[in-house]
Amino acid sequence: MSPTGIAVAVLQVILTIAVAPLLVGMMRVIRARLEGRVGAPIRQPWRDLRKLLRKQRMVSQNTGVVFSIAPLVLLASAALVAGIVPFLSTTSALDQVGDLFAIVYLLLLGTVFLSLAGLDAGTAFGGMGSSREMTIAAIAEPTLLVAIFALSVSTGSSNLGAIVADTLANPSKAASPASMLAFSALAVVTIAETGRIPVDNPSTHLELTMIHEAMILEYSGPDLALVELAAHLRLVVFLGLLANLFFPWGIATTAQPLHLLAAAGAVTVKLIVLAAVIAAAEVFIAKVRLFRVPELLAASFVLAFLAVTVSFFLV
Amino acid sequence: MVGAALAVAAVAAAAAMIAGAVLPARSRVVWVGVCTALCATAGGAAATAVLTGSSTFQANFPNLFPLGGVRIEFDALSAIFSLATAIVAVPAAIYGIGYSAHGPSSRTVQIAWPLLVWSVMMVPAAGSVTGLIAFWELMALSSLVLVLAEHHHNVEARSAAQWYAAMTHLSLLAIVLALVVLAHQAGGDSFTAVRAGAGDLSPATASVVFLLSLVGFGAKAGVVPLHVWLPRAHPEAPSHVSAMMSGAMVALGVYGLVRVGWDLLGGGPTWWGAVVLAIGLASAMFGILHALLSSDLKRLLAYSTTENMGLVFIGVGAAGMFAPSGNRSLASVALAASMLLVINHAAFKGLLFLGAGSILSATGTRDLDRLGGLARRMPVTAATFAIGSLAIAALPPLNGFVSEWLLLQSLVHSLPSNAAVVAVAMPVAVAVVALTGGLAAATFVKAFGTTFLAMPRSVEAGQAHESPRTMQVGLVALSGVCVALALAPTALTSPLRRVSAAVGGLADGAPIRTNGVYLQLSGIQAGLSPLLLATGLAVLMIAVLAVVRRGRLHRTVRDIPAWGCGRTVQTARMEYTATSFAEPLQRVFDDVLHPEIDIDVDHHVESRHYVQAIRYRMKIRDGFEHRLYLPLLAVARRWGDGARRIQNGSIHRYLAYSLITLITVLVVSR
Amino acid sequence: MSTTRFVQLLDLAAGLVLVTSFAALWLRRLVTVTWVIALQGVALAAVALVIGAYEHETELVLIALMVGVLRGVVLPGLILRAVRAGDEHREVESLINVPAALLAASGLTLVAYATTRDVVALSSTPQVRALPLGIAVMLIGMLLIVTRRKAVLQIMGVLMLDNGIALVMFLGTSGVPLAVELGIASDVLLAMFILQVLTTRIRTKFGGTDLDQLRELRD
Repeated sequence: MSPTGIAVAVLQVILTIAVAPLLVGMMRVIRARLEGRVGAPIRQPWRDLRKLLRKQRMVSQNTGVVFSIAPLVLLASAALVAGIVPFLSTTSALDQVGDLFAIVYLLLLGTVFLSLAGLDAGTAFGGMGSSREMTIAAIAEPTLLVAIFALSVSTGSSNLGAIVADTLANPSKAASPASMLAFSALAVVTIAETGRIPVDNPSTHLELTMIHEAMILEYSGPDLALVELAAHLRLVVFLGLLANLFFPWGIATTAQPLHLLAAAGAVTVKLIVLAAVIAAAEVFIAKVRLFRVPELLAASFVLAFLAVTVSFFLV
Repeated sequence: MVGAALAVAAVAAAAAMIAGAVLPARSRVVWVGVCTALCATAGGAAATAVLTGSSTFQANFPNLFPLGGVRIEFDALSAIFSLATAIVAVPAAIYGIGYSAHGPSSRTVQIAWPLLVWSVMMVPAAGSVTGLIAFWELMALSSLVLVLAEHHHNVEARSAAQWYAAMTHLSLLAIVLALVVLAHQAGGDSFTAVRAGAGDLSPATASVVFLLSLVGFGAKAGVVPLHVWLPRAHPEAPSHVSAMMSGAMVALGVYGLVRVGWDLLGGGPTWWGAVVLAIGLASAMFGILHALLSSDLKRLLAYSTTENMGLVFIGVGAAGMFAPSGNRSLASVALAASMLLVINHAAFKGLLFLGAGSILSATGTRDLDRLGGLARRMPVTAATFAIGSLAIAALPPLNGFVSEWLLLQSLVHSLPSNAAVVAVAMPVAVAVVALTGGLAAATFVKAFGTTFLAMPRSVEAGQAHESPRTMQVGLVALSGVCVALALAPTALTSPLRRVSAAVGGLADGAPIRTNGVYLQLSGIQAGLSPLLLATGLAVLMIAVLAVVRRGRLHRTVRDIPAWGCGRTVQTARMEYTATSFAEPLQRVFDDVLHPEIDIDVDHHVESRHYVQAIRYRMKIRDGFEHRLYLPLLAVARRWGDGARRIQNGSIHRYLAYSLITLITVLVVSR
Repeated sequence: MSTTRFVQLLDLAAGLVLVTSFAALWLRRLVTVTWVIALQGVALAAVALVIGAYEHETELVLIALMVGVLRGVVLPGLILRAVRAGDEHREVESLINVPAALLAASGLTLVAYATTRDVVALSSTPQVRALPLGIAVMLIGMLLIVTRRKAVLQIMGVLMLDNGIALVMFLGTSGVPLAVELGIASDVLLAMFILQVLTTRIRTKFGGTDLDQLRELRD
């Protein structure tokens, strides 16, 4: 674990935290424009967070320790993942600390804590949100791990740095059926895990259709800020995974400042493109019923499964 | 050293049994607990000595039984299972002191308990067929007595004990058959002789022996379809006994399978592994689905034992599939994953059963829909149960994650492979392990959330108190083991290497290497550092805390009522229950589980539009029990009825039978 | 065309044929399913086109164009007319639910791969390596026929089955003689017409093509 590696990891964490709310702001602007509205400025999510952070902590009665530490665990797990995923460089010190499996389970850790917090207040909505969130998290898990399986079959490793290096060395791999299938599968899971349409609606205020928002109904002030920031960060982490696992070009393989700067530019462009596609697609798609979500996830599982079969048989 | 420790264990067990027989009720419990803990500690010390040194221990007691002697052979494979036993038995014994004080303190129970601990410890140490069967039967009988411990005020316990007795003896029959064939072939009953003689078995005989041992040991491990006794018997035993049964005894099924299949028989064709893998996949899915929908806490834990044994079987089966195609290093990784899971499972399942015992003794109920809000009243139980829940859900940075990671790595790196069955099975296996992991997370969010969080759902839960000090010691000790295993799994690398060296038919080499705090695998380019992951999480949490909650404003917290949809009073009836929490997943898996749901709506007398009460009942039938066991039982009963007609109590008829038999014998042996 | 580029394009086109058959199981609206079947026909034509271009066989390119027109435009167009004509339910009705159908189809894909391993081992050309895809498409077509309730969907299943057979032929023999392909295509066309006529008759007489209801006509 070299000092530069640690520096790269810290840099990645700080940059993704800084960028995440802006990206979400951009998605909202795109959506508003396509719907014929002006929309709030891109930096609005940051303003909201700042406002929330200045407020007093209010905690509902009946809640305990779990309710208080859940936002911390959620944000810390997402930030740790942001340090592992090769956003800027493959030389992050955390690369050997955890692989793709560790990332999946770290994100699940955050989900679990938030679900427990949803149960902690003892309201009906919190429980409903938790129950639905865990349902979706549980049935999204096979897709995630089987997609990782597909990625690691062709590389021989589930390590992010190794996968990225392998794709950089064989650029034709990015267009192979296996990696395209795995990409589509992970894209569907990204939408499910980050609570976007058609699985969940991040801007809804109708309780019965909510998943994520129902779960965090009792949070306010600085705790809400942490939860929101963590949600933004998870979106960026998933998009960053999609971007750099399948299209790693521009990523730095060293820790030199100039390369890192170029990599930051490249990854920003990729994130903006992916986020813009999602935001634009959301305008045209309706949210599906909760009990149709398994069908969506089954389809994504099939894609991941095909990716494994194809990656083994067609290479 | 090893011999001395084992001798101490035997003496301590004997002392505990004597104490249980002669001392008065109050001091009896204390002395039995202390001596049992001592016995388990000594056993653990012996296991540790074998696992860290390179020596094995052998002893011979040729004249212990009239027909054959007992041989003790303590190698690394035995030691890892004895270590798992010690991990759960020492805290369980201490916990048992407090638990039995107001519960099962009768002489029978207090004699059977140390006997169970000692026999579970010694089953893996047996080095001969006779020894294995003797300790196995001791273990089965003592645990049967303990399942019946609370039978006088619990009707369920009796039916559970019947199922348990029947299944465990059918399994013993299969095991004895398998071992007798082996011993007959070898001309001697020591494992050394059997191992040498197994090479001469024809492949068909070897496969029959393997299948018999799979049935026998699989029933003990509680894997599908031989699991029916497990969700009945484990919940009914006193909780520290449940911990021992679920954490350690069940794992001996795996021990027996590996010992007979891949050590004594020396391994076999790929399909052996494939069968074990298939059973593992079915058990993992079946176990976790039933655990998810169970609202009885101890039953939930028992089903989750089936799931975990399924995962262990997946690892063993995968190893059994890799080894014949020459991929020995990957087989070693898969075996190491299984063995680590056995150790981890002992720690977290023991912990969870002890926690469930605390809840049971504090509230008198195991029904999740009647619990709630215990985190405030039982902080120690809550904190330790939380650690166990996170560990069993395989979440980092706890110990369950390390074994899950190893298992996934061994499955994922099996491709490309030459064997078609491997190529077909592995994607399915990864998918099942993943789904199991996700559902386990949901299950234990449900278990922890509805037990400890929010408001109590019944009066009993509202009046609960923290358990006595001895019980807390047991809980804290086991959660300490979980954390230690989580942070320093690297300490287990050389023991796991010795284990894989001991299983000749399966593995060789060093499955896991350590590079400082990193875990690295042989032949696989992948690394993990649980310690650094935990450190990273802790550092980031502290950083966030430092940035966000620094002001005075954030240190003063205002308590406000939860939002109640416009209602001013929030009651416990508005909470989500365990049943409602699992309902979406129950609907997703409707076609697999076929739950029977009854909804009764009572209308008001005056008008049909006013609903007075709604009753919701859901029952999930065990498909195997319904389709497989009940028809079998019906057949058995018909045979029994037939037999009753022959045996009608008339002395003349019995004499006539004797006469007919005598004539037959004379004619046949003429 | 370089060999790596050829392999990539071939795998992509053949992969698309397989993915469309999964999509046909997944989607619910009859019209969308028809479009997907059309896309499958186009992807099938692309497979033939890629092989033809790589091996410089003008005949195969010609066949590819015909396949594209027939299976990408003409047959789906006919089906679309049948769908639009039947004004009943626009949604797919199935005997098993969608996730189960998808899982069954993935199982069938594995079966296809496992059973063709020996064939694939005989030759290492990229065409033969993709052969299991064709078998899988055939099996999924049969699954569609077995599990769907409506006669229209069963026509689509037949078409998918035939697409699978065509894919196997393209990949396995690297170029079917024009006559064979023409003969098969005309067979399918004939079958389509017969089914079309039958469904129209059935519909005008009984007002629907639900097979479970048709079963009652037996007596």
